[in-house]
Amino acid sequence: MSHRDEDVTADSWRQHRKHVFVLSEAGKPIYSRYGSEEALSSTMGVMMALVSFVQSGDNIIRSIYSDGHTVVFLQKGPLVLVCVSSSRQTEKQLRGELLYVYYQIISMLTQASISRIFEHKKNYDLRRLLAGSEKILDGLLNLVDSDPSFLLVAVQCLPLASSLRDNISQILQKAITPNLVFSILIANNQLLTIVQEKTVIEDSRLEPADIHLLLNLIGASSAFQAGEIWTPICLPLFNPDCYFYAYISYLDPPECTVCLLLLSTDKEAFYAVAECKRKIEEAMMAQNSLSLIAKVQSYSVSQVGVSDLRHFMYKPFDVPDTYQQLTQFTSPEMEAPYSSEEEKMRLLDLYRYMHSRIHSTSRPLKLIYHVAERETLLAWVTSKFELYTCFSPLVTKACAITAITKLLRWIKKEEDRLFIRYPPKYSTTPNPSKSSRGGKSDQQDSTDNGFLSLL
Amino acid sequence: MPEVSKMKKPDVKLVLLGDMNVGKTSLLHRYTERKFKDTVSTVGGAFFLKQWGPYNISIWDTAGREQFHGLGSMYCRGAAAVILTYDVSNWQSLAELEERFLSLTDTANHDCIYALVGNKADLTDPRAQLCQDSDEASKDRMDCGEERTETQVLSACPTPPASPVSLSGITPGKQVTPEDAMALYGRILRYKGLEEKSSLPAEKMCFETSAKTGYNVDNLFEALFDLVLPSILRNTNENQHSPTVDLEECRGAKRGRPGCC
Ligand SMILES: Nc1nc2c(ncn2[C@@H]2O[C@H](COP(=O)(O)OP(=O)(O)OP(=O)(O)O)[C@@H](O)[C@H]2O)c(=O)[nH]1
Ligand SMILES: [Mg+2]
Repeated sequence: MSHRDEDVTADSWRQHRKHVFVLSEAGKPIYSRYGSEEALSSTMGVMMALVSFVQSGDNIIRSIYSDGHTVVFLQKGPLVLVCVSSSRQTEKQLRGELLYVYYQIISMLTQASISRIFEHKKNYDLRRLLAGSEKILDGLLNLVDSDPSFLLVAVQCLPLASSLRDNISQILQKAITPNLVFSILIANNQLLTIVQEKTVIEDSRLEPADIHLLLNLIGASSAFQAGEIWTPICLPLFNPDCYFYAYISYLDPPECTVCLLLLSTDKEAFYAVAECKRKIEEAMMAQNSLSLIAKVQSYSVSQVGVSDLRHFMYKPFDVPDTYQQLTQFTSPEMEAPYSSEEEKMRLLDLYRYMHSRIHSTSRPLKLIYHVAERETLLAWVTSKFELYTCFSPLVTKACAITAITKLLRWIKKEEDRLFIRYPPKYSTTPNPSKSSRGGKSDQQDSTDNGFLSLL
Repeated sequence: MPEVSKMKKPDVKLVLLGDMNVGKTSLLHRYTERKFKDTVSTVGGAFFLKQWGPYNISIWDTAGREQFHGLGSMYCRGAAAVILTYDVSNWQSLAELEERFLSLTDTANHDCIYALVGNKADLTDPRAQLCQDSDEASKDRMDCGEERTETQVLSACPTPPASPVSLSGITPGKQVTPEDAMALYGRILRYKGLEEKSSLPAEKMCFETSAKTGYNVDNLFEALFDLVLPSILRNTNENQHSPTVDLEECRGAKRGRPGCC
């Protein structure tokens, strides 16, 4: 049942589209997407030999191409990440995916403690600390393959009438306690709203990747959805060395679709934060918000009313600067002919190809019109947005351009519903010290978490 | 305001400690939901409020992974009972209790009680293989068989196999006997600086359970709830600033089956 038990000598193991391995600099296996790390230790040994061989010549191995496979290496501190892919993705895209894997590991352990561990003991077996987290990394890799958020480095929120979203945001805004820094509401694994502390991220915005990692962590670790979870978590792009304490609770058991996530900088704040949840629950019940949220779904491309348009992904850049908004994108449900897993993947592969052309380092393009076998795609990047569209194969170029004009008009009209426009803030720190950004207190926090005691 | 939204103030705190994979989440789940289903390894700790008679008992189901080791003492702060859980088929899990978890309980109440629970008894003890859920035996017998594929192997061989090793197909670590657990219980008392004579006896505080079949699970939790009743009463009195104890009520609590909330 589990990929962990796979026979690594079998053909089926070789045929996986994308393998991912993580090992320590000393060559110790840490993670393998398929098959157990033990069974693979010789494979990992070979990889490590390759890496160190080239490192000794002062040119770090970046990638290898051989008969339909791309092998990409990424070294981050004491960790080496390797991807072996038969997908047609570019090295740059694959490296980006390895970076997500690295960040997910950081989100669980923090960069500071990983460095410290390996400084003390070069051949430490990091699996001791990651044992039990394989599912989180497995889940991440599945998402990376199937969810375009990772490719676009943007967050998609659930479409919601702006009045309702504002209502909910205000509820979150009012339920606060000292050291609370983010309040996030999620429905069906998609963002509903996010409210943040004023001073904490005054000088920076929350990175989409941090949200992706958070959502994946919640998805992969809260299957037993009763109860209220309290767990340390690091947002690696926000600050790779410090922990936040996350309160995770579902508001609608037993369905468990609406999840509340409250992040605090105070390890001891569980009961105070749990009290915020009661307030939120109470207010949402009074306004009947839960039942309204529960009905919310993603949208169909047919709502745009443009024939021949099958699917699209739109990522605007023109966010009001003062709000330092989260980078977002919007995209309809993937519907027929892209309902099966294979077809979804095929469309995503086409998008990945278009994306690689647009973002090519050597020859970036602004506009691509690509006639594929079973569809026609058009990608367009301007100073205001990045857009990927997919049409039926018979569309003419002129038709496609008209369609895009209509699509852009529709998005403009709907933008209050499709995006979180003006994320509200609250203030919970009496004296605005930016302690959660790499202050001394954080150092103490991660030592406090007991890693040193293991060495 | 609707009833549900009121924060029920917990009257007492119980903490489940033990290595990853010993079955802490499964035990709690068996007790509260009367089921055995798939779990994922717990992150951090999960807080549950269990209504027991008129009282609210808070239970922390903590993560056994080393990653979360540093949080343990926080979850244990002010605990009235700590359930030290190990896997009867895995000697190391018992050793870990002494090496890694015992020191976390330093933050618990000074009169905290300690239970040693050997879970997965179904793997070693034929008695624990029978589904035995008091009130809904017939329904539960189905439950045990249906939710797990591995259980099918079990029901396919009605007579317990000679060696428990062949039962699960995997080779578990060296097994733990009840005597091993009782010896550890003695060492725990010594660690806490408690007199054996004036403490709860090992026979009473060492349990073998199976979250899978339900064996001894209700017994465990209800015995502990009974034992923490003095703490509950002390806390509720403190909360209400009222010195009187309603004896009727606490007897009711003892007798009444805690309903699932
Ligand atoms: N045979 C058997 N298996 C059990 C029993 N209890 C739990 N398991 C299995 O043991 C594994 C771990 O169970 P969990 O309840 O998740 O373990 P845990 O102690 O909560 O683990 P962490 O959350 O990682 O600390 C799961 O695969 C369970 O199905 C039991 O009584 N008998
Ligand atoms: Mg657990």
